[in-house]
Amino acid sequence: MDPQDLDRLNELLEQDVEIREKIKEQVAELDKKTRNMAGVLNRIHSTPTESSQVTWLSCRFIRLIRLPIVPVLIDSVRPILQSCQDTSAAMAALIPLNQFWRFKEMWSSSLRTAVYSAAFVEYLSSGKLISLPDVAKILGKEEWKDRFSLAVEDYLHGLISLVNELSRLAVNAVTLGNFEEPIRISIFVKELFAGFTMLNLKNDTLRRRFDSLKYDIKKIEEVVYDLSLRKLAAPKKEQVDSKE
Amino acid sequence: MDTDKTTAVVDIFDEFRKDIDEHNDRRERLIKASRDVTNISKKVIFLLHRIMTERGNDTRDPFKHAAERGRNGLREAQVLYAQMKHEIQGDEFWRYHRAVSPGLQEYIEALSFAHYLEHGTLVTYAQVQDTLSDDSGVPYLPLPKEDYLLGLSDLTGELMRFAISGIARKGGRTKATEVCAFVRQCKSDFERFTPVVRELSKKQSVTTQSLEKIEDAVYAIVVRSSEYDLPPEAVDDIVAQSISSFGTGSGVDRSKRGRRDPGSGDEYEGEY
Repeated sequence: MDPQDLDRLNELLEQDVEIREKIKEQVAELDKKTRNMAGVLNRIHSTPTESSQVTWLSCRFIRLIRLPIVPVLIDSVRPILQSCQDTSAAMAALIPLNQFWRFKEMWSSSLRTAVYSAAFVEYLSSGKLISLPDVAKILGKEEWKDRFSLAVEDYLHGLISLVNELSRLAVNAVTLGNFEEPIRISIFVKELFAGFTMLNLKNDTLRRRFDSLKYDIKKIEEVVYDLSLRKLAAPKKEQVDSKE
Repeated sequence: MDTDKTTAVVDIFDEFRKDIDEHNDRRERLIKASRDVTNISKKVIFLLHRIMTERGNDTRDPFKHAAERGRNGLREAQVLYAQMKHEIQGDEFWRYHRAVSPGLQEYIEALSFAHYLEHGTLVTYAQVQDTLSDDSGVPYLPLPKEDYLLGLSDLTGELMRFAISGIARKGGRTKATEVCAFVRQCKSDFERFTPVVRELSKKQSVTTQSLEKIEDAVYAIVVRSSEYDLPPEAVDDIVAQSISSFGTGSGVDRSKRGRRDPGSGDEYEGEY
């Protein structure tokens, strides 16, 4: 090969390596944030929805360590979630135009955790499913679209993580004395599951994770069954209807 | 309110379904097209080998002739890329890079082989990109440097076959020595890219193996022709014997192995 071509090629390749390195730094940043959020959100399993429940509970140690209630917990996650935009901005600035998909794999897993956190926060505060455009708005800005955007795949991965977590929450909510939560979760997750069944998924990780959702649903169902059997929670009639 | 929410979720997922279906269909189309490119390129490579081993009474310059026919064959692949163009616009190219990458590499391998036969050099990045552009020079796709290098790396294997199967013919020994030097140069040129291009180091070791085969064959030529003062035809026989152990279609003209193209065995025999 011509030495000049050789050098040019090498130079270009090294530029790519440099971009990759810089992106890696930002991914590490994002990763820190998403781990932090996931860690805080994990405490939801021992957090009562409202302070009145703490007094309702006879469990003394819960009162003793003065656990925060859910709204407080959510409020502590929100600023971290908002700050994810800073890392997105830094990444968008690094990624060459039209090469988003080239580097996307580098941050997919962190971004999925961020989606999960955003979706969980939304569920805990409004009981609703956060839409993809809404998550995208939290994590990035519209004008970076051709450099940094949220792919459907990553959004869906985040939602599956949410379902995984909700099935745990259904169990732990009961432990904390919240008997309505599992019913709400059951309705929410079933709707979501119905949505997922509409997709023609390929044999990829999303498909495998979707396949595992049925175990989460089963787990939630069992909790609901236990509660109804003991008449601990009286689901409203309309909820029962929509569940069928 | 609950029913409202249900419709909303279903509607949202309906959009996702369209999105995912479209993505999968496109990927499938590109993989198919890419496989077609691979097939075309493989055929061109076989064709080039065949022309180089079959030149009987053909008075045309075999190298020019081969390169021309190879390039003609590859035009089919270029048409496919022109058709793929609208599916891999902008960022979409990188989204489907993995689907198109194998075909691209095979194409580059075939193109570089034709180029080598004619010019004795490596086809440059710009030249490859040029063949993948329309008449006004607008590229069908941005050729990744990685694929360019990996395609070239595969060329060394073809050159090994070319050198060894041609060794027993007139001028084949000089050619083999040339190829040997060329492949050696390729190997050392590519070495510096191994840290930045994944997969290249694996291909480098294949190159090393090919190079060793050529070196051994060249060694055989030198030893045989120096030790005995034999006429060239007799040397041909000796060399053919010594290289038949490589199992790479060497001495194909004598042993009627016709590995490259079993169908052409008959017309082939007639020539010799």
